[in-house]
Amino acid sequence: MKTLYQALETFIAAYHARPQLMAELNDWSLRIVLRTEDLAEAVAVRIEHGRAVALERADAGRADIVVTAAATVLHEVLALRMSPNEPYLFGELLVDGPEAHFIRLDYLVSTLCPG
Amino acid sequence: MSGVSGGPAAPPAWALLGCSTGTAMASVCIFGLFDLQALVGGLWSVVAVVLAGLLCRLLARRVARLYEVCPSSAGLIAQISRALGRSAALIAVIPYLLLTLCLVGAESALCGLVLARVLPIPAALGSLLFLCATWALCRRGVRLGQAAQAICTGALLVGLVGLAAILVVDAAGRGALAGLLAAPTPSLAALAAATGQALFLFMGFELVTFQAGGGAPERVRSVLGLSVGLLTGFYVAVALGIACLPVAFERGVLAAPQLLLADHGGGRVALVAIAAVSLLASYTSFNGALLALSRLAAALAGQGLLPRALARVEPRSQVPRRALDAMLLWSLAATAVVLGTGAVLPPILAAAAAAAAMYAGAAVARERAPFREATRGPVRRALGLGFAACLAALGLGAVIDAPSLRDRLAAAGMLALAYGAAAQLARRAARRRHG
Repeated sequence: MKTLYQALETFIAAYHARPQLMAELNDWSLRIVLRTEDLAEAVAVRIEHGRAVALERADAGRADIVVTAAATVLHEVLALRMSPNEPYLFGELLVDGPEAHFIRLDYLVSTLCPG
Repeated sequence: MSGVSGGPAAPPAWALLGCSTGTAMASVCIFGLFDLQALVGGLWSVVAVVLAGLLCRLLARRVARLYEVCPSSAGLIAQISRALGRSAALIAVIPYLLLTLCLVGAESALCGLVLARVLPIPAALGSLLFLCATWALCRRGVRLGQAAQAICTGALLVGLVGLAAILVVDAAGRGALAGLLAAPTPSLAALAAATGQALFLFMGFELVTFQAGGGAPERVRSVLGLSVGLLTGFYVAVALGIACLPVAFERGVLAAPQLLLADHGGGRVALVAIAAVSLLASYTSFNGALLALSRLAAALAGQGLLPRALARVEPRSQVPRRALDAMLLWSLAATAVVLGTGAVLPPILAAAAAAAAMYAGAAVARERAPFREATRGPVRRALGLGFAACLAALGLGAVIDAPSLRDRLAAAGMLALAYGAAAQLARRAARRRHG
């Protein structure tokens, strides 16, 4: 099984392969932390103007939004095998942060993995 | 363990309180208070509101516990699912959401009546304008700011409590207060039905967890408790004012009763002011309902539980426009039914029963893993389950005690359709998961 860091790298590669989607999120800058609730892994991604510019340690700065789920769920979502809507709706994936960021993150992931 | 240095900024407590109370307060609630007055009369309508408030206070503690363990902004569907499974969560929550949209039909019908009092337009056109304007703003991705929502809610609260105080003071000055508040003692069944119906006045207070964005559980707990206290105080004050009105109100008759308060409490200026804040309060409720429900519909569509087309999110506004369009159609149909038949009570009674059932589901979930503490003894657990049964029975009682067979059948029919649709969704979700 990949580490969370590697899974996030794969996800970001898939995202960067969609220039139109990045352009739609051009005015979006934030720091997202992903955290597994069972394996105690955490990693952060910094997004500037819609582009992921750095993968870093989760504790290296303040998070604008924190996504928490079981490792298997996060890996399925990052591999685009599972829409995040399903685990989110049924309480298996938690998102902690302002609604505005949440809506954009939901849009990004749902566009990459429509269902 | 890898840590996170500094969590996201959560909304301030006042904003959460404004959201929680603002979602619950709407024109249809004032109509509900008038109906309680017609059902049990005088001070007994206040007793029913206080009893419902106490039940919601107990419920708020349970919702706070659910949020503490599972701080999901998806709300009760996520938390009930963790304790009782996905099918149970869908069956508990989907009818509540569907009947909220039916309640929008009643709300927009009342908005039409309000607009018709202050503008030279028919009520049906007023309702259409209200629905379409709110929908169009949602479709463009316009979200009401937290401050704006708090101001709208505060204005409605101050305005109606002020008018109610004028009516109470006036009645006391005439020496008529005791006579107006005195009413024959209702039967236990009638008081229980009134309490069950009063539960619907608080519908939406728990939706603060949608906005909490992972805020500290202690703060969500205190906001939930404060919100129930504030709503109880507001409804008690307005119920007292209604009891002091020198007019009789017949159950189930379509009217915008907040304007009666303005007519008798402050004249034309008060009428226009109350009409304006009522419309704003209705807008905040409907705007929140449309955005939250359309996102839920899009999420369900994304899983193949509803037509896939509803899942599409428009890139610029980032709202699921097709789901919003479907919500508008549903709301228009519900409004047309209310305006066409004048039957405003069935959606209220059905929503009260669905809310009570969902709250009962939340109370049951609280007594199960992962929400039940290891130290929670069997007596407290039994009391918790008894509380859940009590909520469900009160909701059912509100429907059984409807004033006419027509209202009873209509409310029961709406409940049957809503639970039928939820059961169908739950079946599809289970098939999809296991197949």
